[in-house]
Amino acid sequence: MTKSLLVVAALAVATPVVAQAPEQPAAAANAGQQARPARQGQGGGINRERSFPAIASGPWKGPRTADGQPLVAGFYSNTIGNHSNFTDPQGRQPGGNERAPLGPRSERAPSRVSDPADGEIPYLPAARALQQDFAKNFSDPVKPRYVEPLARCAPAGVPKSYMWHGFEIRQYKGEVLFWFDSGWRLIHLDGDKGGKSLPEAIKLWNGDSHGHWEGNTLVVNVTNNNGKALFGRQGDFMSENATVVERYIFQPDGKRFNYVATFTDPTVYARPWTATIPVRRFTAQDKPDGWHFDVHAANAPAKPLAYEHDERICAENNGGFGGGAVGVPGAGVLIAR
Amino acid sequence: MRQSTLKGALVLALLAGVAAPAGAAAPRKTSAAVAAAIPRDAQGHPDFSGIWQTLSEADYDLEPHADRRDAPPSAGVVEEGTIPYLPAALERRTKRFATRTTEDPRLKCYVLGVPRGVYYPAPFQILQRDEDLTLVHQFGNQVRVIHKDGSLHPEELHKELWLGDNRAHWEGDTLVNDVTDVNDETWLDRAGNYHSEELHVVERWSFVDKDTIRYRATLDDPKVYSRPWTIEVLLNRRRDANFRLIEDYCYTFEYADHYPHKDGQP
Repeated sequence: MTKSLLVVAALAVATPVVAQAPEQPAAAANAGQQARPARQGQGGGINRERSFPAIASGPWKGPRTADGQPLVAGFYSNTIGNHSNFTDPQGRQPGGNERAPLGPRSERAPSRVSDPADGEIPYLPAARALQQDFAKNFSDPVKPRYVEPLARCAPAGVPKSYMWHGFEIRQYKGEVLFWFDSGWRLIHLDGDKGGKSLPEAIKLWNGDSHGHWEGNTLVVNVTNNNGKALFGRQGDFMSENATVVERYIFQPDGKRFNYVATFTDPTVYARPWTATIPVRRFTAQDKPDGWHFDVHAANAPAKPLAYEHDERICAENNGGFGGGAVGVPGAGVLIAR
Repeated sequence: MRQSTLKGALVLALLAGVAAPAGAAAPRKTSAAVAAAIPRDAQGHPDFSGIWQTLSEADYDLEPHADRRDAPPSAGVVEEGTIPYLPAALERRTKRFATRTTEDPRLKCYVLGVPRGVYYPAPFQILQRDEDLTLVHQFGNQVRVIHKDGSLHPEELHKELWLGDNRAHWEGDTLVNDVTDVNDETWLDRAGNYHSEELHVVERWSFVDKDTIRYRATLDDPKVYSRPWTIEVLLNRRRDANFRLIEDYCYTFEYADHYPHKDGQP
């Protein structure tokens, strides 16, 4: 069952793009319903929270890895919505398509922009114009630049990787691995030991990440960003001049963390600003699905129930994630090495 | 006695520039000196954590070949000398060889599969925990998990995975990994050598010394080969100062210059 879901997701050839979208509200039928604590998105698995707890940085009293990190390895997903709309996570994606917002704005999850207080990214005027131009053209992308990069299987990058499908955290001596459906990130735990970033000329979809633990908080400095991944379907973005400081603040019981990231880019923003994305850990009480808890039970008779995540291969399977803008099939030879 | 024979064979192999003879199919014993020097995990098993890369020419062509425009010469890494193709399969391989400069999936930066990702000449990082090894390859988007927690292959196989279903166990200081449930999309090298979705690979990972892994893989595929065959390559620890992986999502090249909000100029 889970496997077949996975296969549908992994292959996704010829599947209408809309059928892949994991976090669609149940369209107009749900709009205007009475308030509930959370709403179930289509695709299952995730309860769409409209508010979430703040988590304070502080000491970590829970279990630890052999090398002393807070033990947080496991499967996680954000709790509010996907990359359709950065500043209104349960609102519309651009283009006014069939998706209705989840109730009036005051009842939907807050903007992911937690600073400034108005919930807007403080773009410089020219950058705002670029973002708006993308949003205007998203649903009918007449130029390659208007195709949302995830629709082409590009890595989701920072911070979009935390607002799309579920993901896994794996911990090792000196390293934390984030394994996404659209790529991977290694956080080198040398941020407090003078760990050096890559030379400036190297720009990467996921940047270069050096971090360290401060109590319950993983603090990561992300440099060498190429800015290409965008933040989602509204075209929000940073440039290759951006640096990001991420704080993964884990709840004392290990059941949640808040991703709090400050973006600095004088060529795009009038001032640094901060995004907050709530994330929940999945447990055996959650029902596996093909999106946010994309796992299946291991075949291990007589052992405690354990979950595994299969490979998720995108470009090779023509599995781009569209939602309005359709991916473009790959050409032939791309490298000469 | 056994050890000195092995050492002799290894020296001969190194001198001749070829893999060790096929007779070495039985698990090799690690010499006492090597056993004492290799890194080990908390359970005392070998710890393969680190960044590895082959120096071999295996990815150009697993079989013996003279130099040619797109490959340096190599005595090959197939212990049997050549791959024991069934007649129809050999014909197909010959056709693939002819189209290799445009049809090799590597040219699109596709997942290289098992075992090719291991001897493709780019670094990969092994991250080892009690329950599994995770292989993160620099090239493309390839993350392979080798489970070694006693779990089994799934009951039902779908033959759709690019990196297969990987279940391993220890035999002394050798990690023996059984790989099945693969698709038939990947090639074995740049020369068009191939397999079907019936491919079954048994990998054997062991240390030669603390900075060198001996990687052996036995490939069986009743649709393509007349009998199982084995390759052996060495993997060298990348010891360059501050060396680490740099993402190489080269399948994005086709469109990368259109972002963020650009018109195709880098």
